[in-house]
Amino acid sequence: MKKLISSCLFALFFSITTQHQSVSGQQYDKLNLDSQPLSNKVCATCHGSYGVGNPIVGGPSLAGLEPWYLKRQLEGFRAKHRGNETDYVPGNEMQVSVARLSDNEIEEVVSFIATWKPVEPEQTLSGDANNGSALYASCAACHGINGMGNELLGAPALVGRDDWYMARQLKLFMSGNRGGNPDDVYGQQMRAGVQALGSEQDINDVLAYINTMN
Amino acid sequence: MNKFVSRRELLSLIGKTGATAAVLKASTALGLVPETNVQFPDIPSVNPANRPAVVILGGGISGLTTAYELDKAGYDCVVLEAAPKAGGRCMTVRSGDLIDEVGNPQICEFDDEPHMYFNAGPARIPSTHRNLLRYCRELGVELEIFVNENKEAYVQDDAMFNGKPIKNAAVTTSARGFMAEIMAKNFTGHELDQPLNQYEAESLLSAIRSFGDLSEGDVFKGSTRSGYAHGGFIEHGVQKDVADFSELLKTDFMRMILGQNEGETGPVLFQPVGGMDKIVQGFTNKLEGKIYYDVMVASVNLNNGDGVEVTYEHKGMKYKIQADYCFNCIPSHLMTGIENNFDDNYIEAMRYVRRGEAYKSAFQAKTRFWEKDDIYGGISWTNQKIQQIWYPPHGVFKDKGVILGAYDYGGGMHFTKLSQEERLETAIRQGQKVHPEYRDQVEKGITIAWHRMNHMLGCAARWARNRDGMTADEERLYRTLQQPAGGRHYMIGDQISVHSAWQESAILSAHWAINDMVKRQSGISTMPGQKLS
Repeated sequence: MKKLISSCLFALFFSITTQHQSVSGQQYDKLNLDSQPLSNKVCATCHGSYGVGNPIVGGPSLAGLEPWYLKRQLEGFRAKHRGNETDYVPGNEMQVSVARLSDNEIEEVVSFIATWKPVEPEQTLSGDANNGSALYASCAACHGINGMGNELLGAPALVGRDDWYMARQLKLFMSGNRGGNPDDVYGQQMRAGVQALGSEQDINDVLAYINTMN
Repeated sequence: MNKFVSRRELLSLIGKTGATAAVLKASTALGLVPETNVQFPDIPSVNPANRPAVVILGGGISGLTTAYELDKAGYDCVVLEAAPKAGGRCMTVRSGDLIDEVGNPQICEFDDEPHMYFNAGPARIPSTHRNLLRYCRELGVELEIFVNENKEAYVQDDAMFNGKPIKNAAVTTSARGFMAEIMAKNFTGHELDQPLNQYEAESLLSAIRSFGDLSEGDVFKGSTRSGYAHGGFIEHGVQKDVADFSELLKTDFMRMILGQNEGETGPVLFQPVGGMDKIVQGFTNKLEGKIYYDVMVASVNLNNGDGVEVTYEHKGMKYKIQADYCFNCIPSHLMTGIENNFDDNYIEAMRYVRRGEAYKSAFQAKTRFWEKDDIYGGISWTNQKIQQIWYPPHGVFKDKGVILGAYDYGGGMHFTKLSQEERLETAIRQGQKVHPEYRDQVEKGITIAWHRMNHMLGCAARWARNRDGMTADEERLYRTLQQPAGGRHYMIGDQISVHSAWQESAILSAHWAINDMVKRQSGISTMPGQKLS
C-alpha cells in the first residue's frame, strides 16, 4: 500500500466536521494549489492521485521524478522513441496520451508534477542484493554510487522509483524497444550500459540492491 | 479413416455446435438469465435532525442508484463525479458531445436530430432486468422495443460461401433443417434412453419436424421460413435455395446465431426513447444539487470505524469531506492509484480485477441503406474484427440513421491500439464485405475504446480469468471487496457482481450494499441525540 510520505498538505486542513453535519452543506476546507487542470486530467487517471503510481494500469509513480528527466521522457513519448512495443498496452497509451501536447503544455505538466510530494517506491521484487551490489558497479558511473542520479550525464535517480517499473524498463532497453532509436541519445547510452546485465535474475538482483538504497 | 459416431455421440456433437436448448443447457455466458435474491432496499427513514452523511464516489448507474434510494430515505447524500457528466459507461453520444478518450478526444459531428444518437455503452435492456425496468418506470424513462435479432440481417464469414454475406434467415433455417433431419431420422424414444411413453415420443418427434420445417419422410428440402426467391403474394412463391449446410460448418456462426434469440439477448429487449442516458437523466433530475462534477477524488480514508474522509480536487482547489458512509463506484483499477488506508486483503482484491477491453464505433449513415434490404433494426454478424453491425430500431424511414460499425465485446485490443483514422478505415473496409455500398454511405465516424476512456480506463470488470468461472481464490477476493471496508466503505458497480457489463448488475450491487448498511444500522437509535440507556 502506497501512501503519501508527506502529510503536510493535509495538515493544513482543519476539521470542522461534526457527526451528522450535512454533507451537502459542509463548508469544505479549501487549499489553492494553483494546479493546472491539464495535468490533473492527463496524468491522474493512470498515474494515480498526485502521481503516487498505479501498477494495476501500468502507471509508475511520477512524484519525485526530476523535472529535466520527466520532460525528456514526455518528449520521447511524443516523438515515438518510447511506447512502441506492440505487446505492452500502457506504453502505447502513454504515447497517445502525450501525442498532442505542445512544448508549453509539457513544461506546464512537468512543473506541476514537480509540486507533488515524493512517495515510497513499490518494492515487489526479490533478488540477491549482494550480487546486485556487484552488478550495480557498472550503473554507478552514471546513476551515482547512491543511486541519486546525475543530471549532467542525463542519468535519473534510481532511488525512489518503483522496482516493477525499472524491471520493465531494463528489459525494454535490453530488447532495444527503448534506446533503439538513433535520435534517443541517452536511451542509446543506457541500452549499451544494460548489456552488463545478462539475465532476468541479474535484473532482479540489481533491483534488490537498488531497493536497499531507498 | 474417419471414425463413425454413434447417434448419442452425434447428438452430443450437435449440442456442441449449438443445436438444441435441451442438449445445450447453459452453453454461453450470454445465454444465462441470472436470478437474484437481492431484495429491493427497504430503508427505514432517518430522523431529519440526525441525517447520516453519505458520500458517493462516481456517478455511474450504481452511484446514482445509491444516491437516489438513500436520498429518498432522508440520508444526506453527495455524489462526486470526475467527468463533466454523470452516467459512467451509460453514455449516449450526440451532436457536439465530447468522447473523452485519453490521447484521442473526439467531438461527435452527427446531425443534430433526436434519433441521431449512439449508445456507446449499454444499448439494450433485457425484459428480465426488472430492477432497471422498475427505475425506468419510476423515473419516467420512456421505453421502446429494441430489436436485437433480425432474420433479414446478414451473416458474413470469409470462410463461408466465398465470403459472401447471407441472410440470417438462411443460416437459421438451413442449420435447423439439417439438424432436425438428423435427429428425426435417428429418433426413437428407446434409443435415447428417455423415459418417454409413445405419446410423448410422438410429440417430441413432431416438435423436431417443426423445428426444422422437415418435408415428407423427415427430409429437409429447404424452408420458406427464409423467404421466397420471388413471388409469394400474387404469384406462387418460389422457394430460395437451401444454404449449403457444409458451408455453415466451416464457421462458428451457427452457435452464435442460434444462441442469440435466447437468454438476455433474446426478446423482449428495450431501449429508452432518445438514448440510454435518459436513465441517467431520470436519476439526475431527482438529485438536483447533489451531484458535483469535474471532481477528482484524491484520497479515501477510513476513520477508525467511524466514517470515511474523502479529499478531492475541483478546478485547482482541494477539498475535504467527512461522511458516515462512502459508496464507491470508481473502477477498482483506478482506486488502487488513489491514496487510501484500506487493509491489505481489500487492496489485493482491488488489484485483482481485470479491466474490460470492449470497443465500439459508429457512423452516421447518409441514407438508411439497410432499409432497402428489408432490414429494420437488429444485428449483422461477421467474422471480421468489427464483429457486428447494428441497425437502429428507431427512426424508421427517416433520412439518416446512426449505425454501430464495430463492436468488439470480448478481449480484443485490436481497435484500441489503432489510430482514429485506422479504426475508421478498418470499420469501413470490413463493413463493405457485408454491405458493398458501405463506403459511400457512412460518414462522421466515432470510436469508443473503453480501455482508454478518461476516468474509467476499462469496460466491464472481469473477476474470472478462465472460462470455467471463478476459482475459490477469486471467489474469496470477490467476497472481500463486496464487504464494506471498516463497515463504512462499500465498493459498488457492476464490478461488484459476478455478471458485469449490465446496468442491472450495477443496480443490484448498490442494492446489496444498501441492504448491508441498513442491516448493520439496525439497533442504532433513530432518535435525535445520543442514546443514554
